Amino acid sequence: MSDVTHTATPWPAANSSAEVVVVGSGAGGAPTAALLAEAGLDVLVIEEGPWVAQGEVVPFSLDQMHRQYRSRGVTVALGKPSIAYTEGRCAGGGSEINSGLYWRPPASLLSRWRDEYDLATLDPDEVERILDEIEVALSVQLVPGAPTAPSEVLRRGAAALGWRHDEVPRWMTYPDGDDASRGRRQSMTETYLPRATQAGARIVTGARVDRITMRAGHANGVDVTTDDDARRHIACRHVVVCAGAIHTPALLQRSGIRRNVGASLAIHPTVKLTARFPETMNVPDDVPVHQVKEFAPLLSFGGSASHPGLVALSLADAWDRFGSRIVDWERMSVYYAAITPQGRGRVRALPGFADPLVTYRLTRRDQALLGRGLARLSLVMLEAGADEVYPSFRGASVVSSRSDVAEQQRQFSATRATVMSVHLCSTVPLGGTRSAQRGTDEWGAVPGVGNVTVNDASLLPDAPGVNPQATVMALAIRNTRHHLATDRFARSDA
Amino acid sequence: MISRAAPDVTVVTGAAGWLGSALMARLGAQRPDGLVALVHDETDRDAVLALAPRARVVVGDVSDRSGIDALFTGLTGDVDVIHTAGVIHPRRVADFETVNSIGTANVLAAAARVGARRVVHVSSNSPFGTNPDVTDVFRGDEPYDPYYGYGRSKMHAEGHVADAVERGLDAVIVRPPWFYGPHQPARQTAFFTMIRKGRFPVIGSGRQRRSMVYVDNLVDGVLLAELVPTAPGRAWWIADERPYELNEIVDTVGRALRDEGFDVRPNRTRVPAIVGRVAELADAAIQRTGRYQQAVHVLGEMDKTIAVDISSATTELGYRPAVALYVGMRASIRWCRDQGILL
Repeated sequence: MSDVTHTATPWPAANSSAEVVVVGSGAGGAPTAALLAEAGLDVLVIEEGPWVAQGEVVPFSLDQMHRQYRSRGVTVALGKPSIAYTEGRCAGGGSEINSGLYWRPPASLLSRWRDEYDLATLDPDEVERILDEIEVALSVQLVPGAPTAPSEVLRRGAAALGWRHDEVPRWMTYPDGDDASRGRRQSMTETYLPRATQAGARIVTGARVDRITMRAGHANGVDVTTDDDARRHIACRHVVVCAGAIHTPALLQRSGIRRNVGASLAIHPTVKLTARFPETMNVPDDVPVHQVKEFAPLLSFGGSASHPGLVALSLADAWDRFGSRIVDWERMSVYYAAITPQGRGRVRALPGFADPLVTYRLTRRDQALLGRGLARLSLVMLEAGADEVYPSFRGASVVSSRSDVAEQQRQFSATRATVMSVHLCSTVPLGGTRSAQRGTDEWGAVPGVGNVTVNDASLLPDAPGVNPQATVMALAIRNTRHHLATDRFARSDA
Repeated sequence: MISRAAPDVTVVTGAAGWLGSALMARLGAQRPDGLVALVHDETDRDAVLALAPRARVVVGDVSDRSGIDALFTGLTGDVDVIHTAGVIHPRRVADFETVNSIGTANVLAAAARVGARRVVHVSSNSPFGTNPDVTDVFRGDEPYDPYYGYGRSKMHAEGHVADAVERGLDAVIVRPPWFYGPHQPARQTAFFTMIRKGRFPVIGSGRQRRSMVYVDNLVDGVLLAELVPTAPGRAWWIADERPYELNEIVDTVGRALRDEGFDVRPNRTRVPAIVGRVAELADAAIQRTGRYQQAVHVLGEMDKTIAVDISSATTELGYRPAVALYVGMRASIRWCRDQGILL
């Protein structure tokens, strides 16, 4: 990748028209913009958040949450229980702030999607080839040298139980040789966004697209509000919506596109615990690279960001019992159990509000799975040598033996737990004409509106059970190439 | 798999029970001398002697130390203990703790006093609750999540085994799920009768899965656990090769009955999932009052998936279940007929 420093184009220099407007600059928008610009199209990327270069903020810190997360990290899907979720709101989107753990979607997942959602053109081999490209572009690799202590805990605990575990490769480079804690994340601001600008795309930040303006069932531009509250209209021939699984459906709804939009939100709900070990092991600015995959895709276990503030947050559900332990935070790390749920949620744009209403319902089975997942995770911690485990739910007790884990299972209720999610997806899903949830056609085009396409996590037909960034990027590249090959963006009347 | 020779003395508790009878039949043939059997009632004595004529039969209760002392008196040479005694459908909830937990502690203490070579404790799936999804399978090592009174008592019994191992006893655990096969008790006859009449209540979709174990497969597993040297304290699931869907169980039993010459009506008894949920709540409520209702308990459990992975028994013990559902059920039906039991 080029070492030229790229940032966004300031507004006065941005024209008020473009051939293609790409809304959002994350894992969907960035590769889309790069490919379209490289094909010679006049591309304007409109990003709501700021441009924050890698290295400017400490990873997983509160400062990062303030600057790069939507609503400073405080966003909630309402339900019983309500589920807190986080979204990137910055140039590069989620790719700037996530764990950086690369999961290639399993071939079985792609063929299941093809069969269940009538996606005859979804060719697993083609996606595999695109993933090969992505791995090169993002420098996907294993950590050189030894993993961190919190990561080693997952490996050791799973190995003792005979449970499958993997070191997950990351999109990281390691300029300082084998120092695992000095990685540089190959996020979108380091890779596809510079590629897009080099090919002539303009990227503006601090600008929110309020709606796609339509005329005779056809998009003719976007209405934009900038950070200084100025309103503009950008005329364009095509709009590619890549605003993420919450804001893509909200924008479509505000623009009058509602059929199968926002009704099938899929997430990976997680519950957490904190484990304390006899020795100092906390790593405040990175997450573990090991995951326990014995029960995948039903259940996965991994490590969470664990700077002292987040350790305190994780102990907060039963602070009366756990709070005094916070002085030992250097001996603690936070871990999660994630499930692939049956439940689905909903995104609804509300007139007069910037953020849509998000609701989500866990089924009884999902709640049971969260409880069993947290118990199995406690067992991993005990086997790894934890002296105390603190599950994150109200009324929880300290766990230090197997009989305490039985008590933990008995006390657990999802409605008393802090349930969180990343990996939001599936709100405008790809689908063939026989798919009941079809939000777009097989290539992301909105049915009936020829010049509006979707190209982000909203397209995934359901929750993939693994970190979806690679899948999102691969589908975005696949769709964009298809649209270029079929001249969709060349036709003004598409 | 390297296997030790049979011991000089084999002590079997619960010898007149379902598993105990199958075990005594096998041991009566394989090692007729040196068998010492504990039965609960005087009336059980003849049944055990019919299976193993040279066995020494002791009448007593595992929850009563004096009964246990009689069982373990005068033993010489290598002694192995196979502890199958337990209560699964008692009259009162308190019996669970008395028999299953305290009884196990008593047997372990007596085994330690005579310097037993190995104790095989027969546990259950119930200390682990039910699977959270129909595709989930319990691994060899799982967190406890006991299913009501029985599950708690069997969990406590496993705790006594762990404590005894800690104190130096060589004890291991075998965990069978729902079993079937010859020597079955009366409640299992009702199961056949319901299926024959097309009245077995399939709750919900019938896609819930159950691991089951043919009783002779279980005897194989118990004897491997006894004779294959391993680290003390190990525990293994002993079940048929794979879990079965409830629909498959009902269909296979129907086919086995038909092939044994019974007139079987198609099973059309579908019950909404809510019935299972209500039964489970009722079971919990009844057990809280100290009472126990078998029918309600079984119905409450019938919509659950209880599936186990036998691979650690396969790799560590060389356990290979020889019989699967259809063949095992036919054998079971024939056994009932031979006993003059009307299905």
